[in-house]
Amino acid sequence: MDLFVQQLVNGLTLGSIYCLVALGLTLIYGIMEVPNFAHGHLYMIGAYVTLFSMTLYGLNYWLSSILAGIVLGIVGVLMERIVFHPLRHAPSSNKFIAAIGAMMFLEALARVLWGSDFRSMPAVYDQVVLIGGIRVTEQRIIVIVSAILLMLALNLFLKKTIIGSSIEATAQNREGAGQVGIDVNSVAMITFGIASFLAAVAAALAGPIFLVFPSMGALIIMKAFVIIVVGGMGSIPGAILGGYILGVTESMGATYVSTDYKDIVAFLVLILILAVKPTGLFAEGKR
Amino acid sequence: MVSKRKSFLVLAFVFLFLVSIMAAGCGSTKPAATTTQGTSGGPAKVVNVGWSGPLSGGAAIYGQDTVEGLKMAVDEINGQGGITVSGQKYTINLITLDDQYMPNMTATNARRLRSENKVPVIFTPHAGGVYALQEFNLEEKFLIIAHSADPQIAERGNKLTFVAAPPFSGQPEPFSKVAMEKYGKKVALVPATHKYAKDWTTTFVSVWEKLGGQVTGNFAVDYNKETDFYTYVSKALATKPDVLFVGGPSKPTAMIIKQARQLGFKGGFILMDQARLEEMEKVVPLSDLTGCIGMMPLHKMPGPGVSKFVEDFKSKYNGKLPTFHHAGNYMAMKIVARGMEKAGTVDDAAKIFEGMKQIFPIKEVGFPYELTGINSNGSLQVEEAGVMVVDGKYGPPIPISVKK
Amino acid sequence: MVKKNVILKAGCFVLLIIALAVPYISPSPYFIQVISMSFIFAIAVYGLNLIEGYMGQLSLVQAGFFGIGAYMSGLLTLKLKMSFWLALPITSLATTFLALLIGLISFRTRGHYFVILTLCIGVVINLVIEKWEGLTGGVGGVIGIPKPSPLGPLSFDTIDKQYYLILAFLLLTIYVMYRIINSLVGRTFISIRNSEELAATLGINVMYNKLLAFGVSAFFTGMAGALYAAFIRFIGPDISSPILTFEFLLYLLVGGQATIAGPLVGTLLISGLTESLQFLKEYRLILFGALLVLIVKFFPWGIVGFVQLLTARNCKILTGKEGVSS
Repeated sequence: MDLFVQQLVNGLTLGSIYCLVALGLTLIYGIMEVPNFAHGHLYMIGAYVTLFSMTLYGLNYWLSSILAGIVLGIVGVLMERIVFHPLRHAPSSNKFIAAIGAMMFLEALARVLWGSDFRSMPAVYDQVVLIGGIRVTEQRIIVIVSAILLMLALNLFLKKTIIGSSIEATAQNREGAGQVGIDVNSVAMITFGIASFLAAVAAALAGPIFLVFPSMGALIIMKAFVIIVVGGMGSIPGAILGGYILGVTESMGATYVSTDYKDIVAFLVLILILAVKPTGLFAEGKR
Repeated sequence: MVSKRKSFLVLAFVFLFLVSIMAAGCGSTKPAATTTQGTSGGPAKVVNVGWSGPLSGGAAIYGQDTVEGLKMAVDEINGQGGITVSGQKYTINLITLDDQYMPNMTATNARRLRSENKVPVIFTPHAGGVYALQEFNLEEKFLIIAHSADPQIAERGNKLTFVAAPPFSGQPEPFSKVAMEKYGKKVALVPATHKYAKDWTTTFVSVWEKLGGQVTGNFAVDYNKETDFYTYVSKALATKPDVLFVGGPSKPTAMIIKQARQLGFKGGFILMDQARLEEMEKVVPLSDLTGCIGMMPLHKMPGPGVSKFVEDFKSKYNGKLPTFHHAGNYMAMKIVARGMEKAGTVDDAAKIFEGMKQIFPIKEVGFPYELTGINSNGSLQVEEAGVMVVDGKYGPPIPISVKK
Repeated sequence: MVKKNVILKAGCFVLLIIALAVPYISPSPYFIQVISMSFIFAIAVYGLNLIEGYMGQLSLVQAGFFGIGAYMSGLLTLKLKMSFWLALPITSLATTFLALLIGLISFRTRGHYFVILTLCIGVVINLVIEKWEGLTGGVGGVIGIPKPSPLGPLSFDTIDKQYYLILAFLLLTIYVMYRIINSLVGRTFISIRNSEELAATLGINVMYNKLLAFGVSAFFTGMAGALYAAFIRFIGPDISSPILTFEFLLYLLVGGQATIAGPLVGTLLISGLTESLQFLKEYRLILFGALLVLIVKFFPWGIVGFVQLLTARNCKILTGKEGVSS
């Protein structure tokens, strides 16, 4: 029983990270129909920015995380302008190819700038907390709680602010949004900024638990894609639910089934779902 | 239709262009030994030596380490005026080519090194590349220097392959004995999933069981791909082991050990030799590595040679501590150079290899390890030592018996 | 028109002569190795060209087909001692069959879903090859695959002879692709790429045609894999990794998708660049990543498409036929 609860907590930690990354991905897809394959690499760069502002500039952990979020927000907006904006009318495969190009570029850039070695972020909140029979570090609690707070904040932002409502409106109907006077261009940029902010903060949260290395983005992006396809591309509740489900499934699968084929299972589930429902589980309308 | 057919013409031009470029490139083949102004007496010639390994991508850091070791040996040799082969002075020129860890590119690079630079020996630090080269190195007459402890390389019986990394087979037994004595007989396995880790695990399990130990389960995890090891470690610890067997790249291994301690594990760790304590210390303080049994860090090795090597290396590379990869390649290059001198040739790979076999044992200042010889499979025999971290400090060396 | 045809035929003839003379132009095994590897990859890129360039379906499972081709042919010739000449067609057909199965599922999806689905299938193939140790040797790979067995009086024991073998398969691939593209089937593919809805209203069976293109694409990709196995003679799970698919994509995009010469031009050019830009190391990928982004933006039809645009007397006709469709 202890093992079960322990693994549930482990799964929720993982799931929190997945959620934040998948949320950004699904927001971008909802607004621009861009499958941003490079999103995981923004996450990776976010981790490096956090790492360096802590080790090189001596900033504290929280400031570093916010700084990483802001820096990556700017990088995200630039990426939208340089890579995806010019392709907004191009066929879908061209957007995908551009995203792959951006991904290759960012990963190679990280290797040139920072080397391929694993790095570790200074762990500030490393104390072990005993709850019942369960051992959790403070950092893991921070991950789980922060993820929930961030998602609540995002929800408030989308529902209660004008910019947020514009984003939601654009996601529902791009042409219509343009007609009622929403500047679709700015909405696209803001969305990219927010999504990249989320990715960077997710990386900052995960950083002290995981290691930081250039290909860390490639690992998480595949999972984020699985999540948003299962949850319906563009659907925010779908991404959140999918993120937690994948995190918990992975840790439970590794515990009670086989550790060897664990990765395959996630992808097989996706293939199965798309085979039965070609537009994803919770797709709203036809893509 | 015209436009499509026209593309044939375009193709023709581009093809012509490429062929001419490449042909021109290959036409300007440099002779094997170019004459330069020598330092002592007569003019010294140059002998080219090749290396193909990862210089880009995830394994680049490993590739660079091996090159640094080779470069250091080359600079030392050339600094002393080079080698003397049949009365002729030669300086060594190391040519490095990136293969991105892909065997097909290793093969391409080897052809290039052979055709353009006439190298007699090619260093490769990964098993896949070695396998690809072993398919044609006898025809093309070059010696492969494999820096990989994959036992299959030697087992294939290729007559022109020198395995410069010592086999791991001597390590599991002394490590297991120490761990059993101190912590107990139940071990859970959390090794990495790549081939070398699998081979190591298999050997380790048979040794552990032979010594009367019990394996509670195998929870292998891909150290490079998995983001969080908590899941695996939790599962392994649920089997109540006394000892954890871990090992893969050093830093992820350190994370696993840290997480196992966070999850309340009190026992010991046996490290597969890919994980190096001196590297792990960079991620997790040595005090948290108490109970780890692994290879002795290079700079802590006993013996006359090692301190000079470590000092020389640090002054050459801005205070960087050398690892086993640096040391292994450094020694391999020196062995090759001496082999050439002994054999009296810089072209004939088979004779060079024969020469290399005749220069042992080597026990001298500047050589990080004591070398006893090259066995019949072409593997280097090295005197190594293990160590256990006790109360946050390195304990005494654990001798590792060399298997003949 | 007649004059153009003459020039064209002469051009092709010259090209063929050069290709045949390569081992005599430069007997350097290095040079032949580079060209041979480029040819093998080019065959696979032709497969991608058919499905992505002409059909507009970005399939990211291609390296999976390549890996299956390599592993199947490698294991058949090594473990079952089957002749290469039997293993090759079996492998190609098996890959085709698998592609048809995958196609039945994946062509139900469209747009980005199709891309992501094929990518995931590619990942699964890669993982299965890596994990199924009993069959594939896992991460250790397959060592010591035999060279292509002699075909009557023709033997393939030297690198020069293997070069001719690969060249022959490349020519076959180009010929078949050329015939497909310039047939009714090829025009059907293009019409589906331009507008699926329109094609369907014209009575074209979209699913059937997509499957056809996918099957042919897989046939050649699997064949390229089999050639790779016999040429390099060691295979590891890496050759089925999606990263290889991305490389194919780079070759195709640079050369020019939806052109007959594009795959070969792109593969030769990028391989040549990779060899001559060795000193760039990590910077090479920065360059190639940026190149991909720039190409989709400014030259969506690659070098060959660009040159065609420049040389076309009547640009209107050309863009009407080959133009960017969204």
